[in-house]
Amino acid sequence: MDKSERKTMSRAEALAWVAEIFQESAEMTPETPRENIAMWDSLGVLTLMAELDEKFDLVVSDQDMRAMTKVGDILSLLEKNGKLNS
Amino acid sequence: MRFILVDEIIELVPGQRIKALKHISPLEDFFGDHFPGFPVVPGVLLTEMIAQASGKCLESEDRARGKPMLARIVEASFRDWMRPGETAVIFSEVKKSRPAFATLAGHIEIGSKKICTAELMFSFVPHENFAADLRDEVLEKFLARSRA
Repeated sequence: MDKSERKTMSRAEALAWVAEIFQESAEMTPETPRENIAMWDSLGVLTLMAELDEKFDLVVSDQDMRAMTKVGDILSLLEKNGKLNS
Repeated sequence: MRFILVDEIIELVPGQRIKALKHISPLEDFFGDHFPGFPVVPGVLLTEMIAQASGKCLESEDRARGKPMLARIVEASFRDWMRPGETAVIFSEVKKSRPAFATLAGHIEIGSKKICTAELMFSFVPHENFAADLRDEVLEKFLARSRA
């Protein structure tokens, strides 16, 4: 089992993790839009890319990052890559 | 004040790691303010030394990502003082290097003591955004010496 296969989290943990990355104290849901998250700016994108890489061994392209418009898109990415517990 | 915080590169593996030096003159203006009677190099300058050395490490790699620019100080810790007249030995190592960003971990030693550590993130800005004649003399000098 490699490092990436060991790392999974629940949806609630994932929401908390995303909130921490973007330094959001307000409650976050999958429907929270990108424009409501002040720290989801160019640096926020880089930070998210680095965290996905570090924590889950997921290398995401600039193009895929730009296509994300809400928190749920990040969760979908994790789910698609088997990083969310069912 | 020139903002060149790396005097010389000692070792360099492009895109992987770097070791460099920075001597701080006792005549630096900032010692008058930081602090009277207790002159020490500001932590932001120690962090910048690691950042500049890290940038040279990334820049020396032959990749068309653009010029590395400090995007985030992920962590920085200061364990001891750097005093007037001392020479910092700067180390930095690339942890992740991706098309859009790179992360590096660095530290500074004075004598054999580690006085500062920092984890930094860089993004890349297209070279055409900078002056066409922008050069890194410290890096060029090292590369020329390596080729000789």
